[in-house]
Amino acid sequence: MLIEFTLNYQPIAIEAPPDVTLLHLLRDHLNLTGAKEGCSVGECGACSVIMDGRLVNSCLVLAPQAHGSEIITIEGIHAPDGGPNDLQENFITYGAVQCGICIPGMVVAGEALLMRTLTPTRTEIRTALAGNLCRCTGYQQIVDAIEATAVQRRQAS
Amino acid sequence: MTELQYIGKPARRVDALEKVMGKAKYIADRKLPGMLHARCLRSEAPHALIKKLDVTPALAVPGVRAVITSEDFFEHSLFGFPVKDEYVLAYRKVRYVGEAIAAVAADTPEAALAGVQAIVCELEPLPGVFDMEHALDPDAAQVGPDRPDDQHPNFLDLLIVRQADPLAEIEQCAVKLDERYSVGPQEHAYIEPEGALAVPTREGGVLVYAPNQSPFVNYGVLAMVLDLPHNLVRVIQPPVGGSFGGKDDQIYQMSAQVAKLALLTGKPVRLVYSREESLISSYKRDPMHIRIRLGADSDGTLRAVKFEGLMDSGAYASESTFTAWRGSIHAMGAYRYNACAVDIKCVYTNNGYYGAFRGFGNTEVCAGIEQAIDELACAVGMDPLDFRLKNCLHVGDRTAHGQILTESVGLPDCIKTVRRLSDWDRKRAAYANQTGNIRRGIGVAALYHGTSLGAEGADYAGSTIAVEQNYSIDLTSGLTDYGTGSRTVFTLIAAEELGVSPDRIHMQRPDTDTAIESGPTVASRSTMLGGNAARVAADNLRQTLDYAAADLLGCELHQLVRSGEAYVGPDEEPVAWERVVDHAREMGLALSAHGKWTAPRIEWDHHHGTGTPYMAYHFASQVAEVEVDMRTGVVQVVNFWAVHDPGKVIFPQGAYGQVYGGVAQGLGYALMEQITYTNGYLQETNFESYLIPTSVDVPEITAQFVEAPFSKGPYGAKNIAEPSMVPAAPAILNAIYHATGKRVRDLPANLERVLLGHDLAKGGSAKACKLGLKT
Amino acid sequence: MARFDYVRAHSIAEALQLLGEAGLISRPLAGGTDVMVFVRNEKPPFDRLVDISRVPEMKIIERRGDEVFIGAAVTFTEAEQNALLREVAGCLAEACRSVGGPAVRNAGTLGGNVANAAACADSLPALACLDAVAHVRSLTGERSFLLNELIQGANRTAIRPGELLTHFTFPVPPAGVRSAFLKLGRRNAQAISRLSMAAAGRLDAAGRVDYARLAPGAAMPRPQRFTEVEALLLGQAPTDELLAAAGAKTAEVMIGVTGRRWSTEYKEIAIQAMAEQTLRRVLCQ
Ligand code: FES
Ligand code: FES
Repeated sequence: MLIEFTLNYQPIAIEAPPDVTLLHLLRDHLNLTGAKEGCSVGECGACSVIMDGRLVNSCLVLAPQAHGSEIITIEGIHAPDGGPNDLQENFITYGAVQCGICIPGMVVAGEALLMRTLTPTRTEIRTALAGNLCRCTGYQQIVDAIEATAVQRRQAS
Repeated sequence: MTELQYIGKPARRVDALEKVMGKAKYIADRKLPGMLHARCLRSEAPHALIKKLDVTPALAVPGVRAVITSEDFFEHSLFGFPVKDEYVLAYRKVRYVGEAIAAVAADTPEAALAGVQAIVCELEPLPGVFDMEHALDPDAAQVGPDRPDDQHPNFLDLLIVRQADPLAEIEQCAVKLDERYSVGPQEHAYIEPEGALAVPTREGGVLVYAPNQSPFVNYGVLAMVLDLPHNLVRVIQPPVGGSFGGKDDQIYQMSAQVAKLALLTGKPVRLVYSREESLISSYKRDPMHIRIRLGADSDGTLRAVKFEGLMDSGAYASESTFTAWRGSIHAMGAYRYNACAVDIKCVYTNNGYYGAFRGFGNTEVCAGIEQAIDELACAVGMDPLDFRLKNCLHVGDRTAHGQILTESVGLPDCIKTVRRLSDWDRKRAAYANQTGNIRRGIGVAALYHGTSLGAEGADYAGSTIAVEQNYSIDLTSGLTDYGTGSRTVFTLIAAEELGVSPDRIHMQRPDTDTAIESGPTVASRSTMLGGNAARVAADNLRQTLDYAAADLLGCELHQLVRSGEAYVGPDEEPVAWERVVDHAREMGLALSAHGKWTAPRIEWDHHHGTGTPYMAYHFASQVAEVEVDMRTGVVQVVNFWAVHDPGKVIFPQGAYGQVYGGVAQGLGYALMEQITYTNGYLQETNFESYLIPTSVDVPEITAQFVEAPFSKGPYGAKNIAEPSMVPAAPAILNAIYHATGKRVRDLPANLERVLLGHDLAKGGSAKACKLGLKT
Repeated sequence: MARFDYVRAHSIAEALQLLGEAGLISRPLAGGTDVMVFVRNEKPPFDRLVDISRVPEMKIIERRGDEVFIGAAVTFTEAEQNALLREVAGCLAEACRSVGGPAVRNAGTLGGNVANAAACADSLPALACLDAVAHVRSLTGERSFLLNELIQGANRTAIRPGELLTHFTFPVPPAGVRSAFLKLGRRNAQAISRLSMAAAGRLDAAGRVDYARLAPGAAMPRPQRFTEVEALLLGQAPTDELLAAAGAKTAEVMIGVTGRRWSTEYKEIAIQAMAEQTLRRVLCQ
């Protein structure tokens, strides 16, 4: 079936079977492999995308459900020049990245939070990441990076 | 010593950029035109004879291109090190649920699954061994391979440490302890499930992309089971989405499966596990039953220890004999004793199989001994931190193995520092007499952890370095960075040695065609072994450049100084590093170098249980503060302090990250990570039932380093990755005791154990496993 | 070939048409958190999913006279952030906040949580505590149920093929009533409830309990209020002794229904603490 939606700020139309997940649509049909498949059942957050302004697990979204939606994936998060944005830069600076497999999901979850508030406490940041498992970092430097970005964006605005 | 430019300074992880942008290509992100998808037929029985295996019906399934079994490999695909008892695909028998029996390559994942379901496989069930305590009963079913001696075939190994007669010594002690502890299995739970991709090469060989820990080990296994000359095998390592010891034999099996399928079909073949497949078929941390006897004088002088461990290796040996050895070496803890005996026995069962996992035996034994030490301190009437300080190893002490520690022992400093940071004395007193339903407690654990392989095997690593046309520098290592940051460590070391910016350096991922074989990437050995190799390689290259610079500047070597990257001679006129490179080229000098570093030879006498197990040790002390709900058994870790002596910190954000992540894994091990085999069937087959800590389970962690440099480490560095996790669980368990007054001696300390003092048996079934193998 | 079809409904009427179509097994799809697990199985137990997640009438939360109306396609996040629910149904807002993680709450719906009927579903005790009525429609009419009638056991409901759970209603609690929810899991997020507890209550001018509701979750095969416990509380001052007695009674009622099972040794103690703590929050703070 034809699925039309906005993907990373660009309109897109794609023919796909109705029984695949949004995650597979992205990875297998659109070749966007930034969202990862860690569990396929909504438990790890590696497949996180932003759908109509809210963080969702793309493994729990049926591809045709995206029809008419605005989807932002990790590939749509970057600075205007295509390089890392401030949040991504802070992930690097604060040492928030280890194996990196959870990191696209973490960046997406961080952006979803910062879209709603630029004054999150560390506890609120942790709550916003609670559906994104990371086995490497113990989360602390990820929280550091998001917190620092919130401060910088607050100062800039 | 001149001031360090890059070592120990904030740095950017070399692969962080591609990862934050979502551009890093992990194994599941790599595909090639015409690539086939592989899938395995797996055993649904914990122990059975393969009565019939007919793959021809699968070949008739549309889209199926090839099907393989153990018959397609050399020696039926037997492999394994140090014990060769495992198969790439099961031969004659299956010994655990999830064991691969056959592999199918097809045009689509759906066709591969249909192919698997079409295979005719008849299993004749055999009685299983599910309780390690009964694995060596005379009538226990044979799980392990036939043995040449008269030992039970389910006996795998016994590892010992011996010093004097501890039981006699304990007899004379005023204070004695005799307790039993246990630790359960733990799943690595890397967020990236296992995978491998094989591409057939024009000359009849195979190129395998595999997120393995040790590409050179994989390469050796591939050449062996495929019966190919080594020059026709190449292994390249893509980014690895976490490993923690887990991407070892399992990945070698998968690599061999896809490699064979690629060779047969002439097409690229990829196999990627689902989470269920990963959990069911991959090895886990071994469970251990522990009995500890300790004795001390009434003044708190620790005198003797006897440690007995029974370890389940599961269906195959994997790394268990090494794990048990490391466990035995650390089983007595980082203390001085007059007498010590350690016996760790490993046995075969049909409970999945167990292998390497961060800490590698030490995590298991530390959970026991550090609780026992706490209990003994309590019996003596001493503060457990004071007790540790009184008895812990210092420079000049002799370990229970007979090794004199001549340098780099930061333990007393670690304990003192963690005491101060955690406000130990005040909290210890404040929490002493609580009565409410919510109670706080604070607990400590101390640790030592031998660096690198120790007497496990030949310990060496190699690196290559070369200046490219555009003045960038290509650096290789035979060791893998599966997220730990070792590539960044090697980069910083090479930059420091060469006196150039780390930005110039392109640290490659291992490729068996271009890197130097460096042994396995295990045992937190990268910084010391790989770091030293990178240092030697860079030093060799620097020597060449120094000659060129001296020639260019018309001076003697010793007159050269550096200003940033530039070289400066007696005339104080700096010349750019690029000019020196150009000049070296004009002189006809080679701008590439190798470096190899071999650890000093050490000896361990397995028969007498004495020797020098490791050249150096990491030391640490961690303190956990918990809040326990006395009526529900809920434990929150509210604060955590970790003070470590890694010798020297090379890459600070990376080192802190190792500590935070290690503590989080230890927290999961202590409280929630539970693996249950019911008659050989795993009950936790995805992340909804196998729970690892989330961001709201892990507290803010305070980490600090005490640097006691080791003369043979690069810039004094030892190790960090494994030790960061090891003491976390006992620190938490000791804190729970402090809060509740009740000891939980079995891990994980789940709700039931904390509340009731024992676990509740839910009973399980084969259902989740059987369903999981179909998804 | 696709294993099932997808169709999106834009109204309840359209959804009912689609669900009632003969010759096809259709199932409603909302947040996907439960249904999608079947998508991975080779043979899903349906031919078609009818997406009701954007049906406007099913996204409403509002007060209608003496009742609160909640559309079944309201997500946990929407419920948790809703000012009306926070004011009059604190237990439900808190229950929704305790579900899964943020992404699961953004997708998962109240209707889905109820229709899936897992014994450990977090919204169930809260809805039961509020005396919520579930409204189920089909082409032939509407049926309504109290939750303990709708839910007939683990993963079993009275909803028939062709029917759609459209909304819930519950009476606005009397002024001054406070309600709360507590969850006990094996970790602090993305956890299945080991036990949960919803309670509501109020004290009269003399400081005696004049309103009490208590409904445990993950304790019973179907959600229900523990009226025996409520009766014990009414007319009494909320002393430690009373709350302890209420806790003990809660355990007794639970065991009366479920009998002793593998988990009872644990739950018997923990449920008392949960009941006491939740009641303390609504009666003593
Ligand atoms: S893959 Fe979607 S949540 Fe794990
Ligand atoms: S960085 Fe490895 S899982 Fe998060």
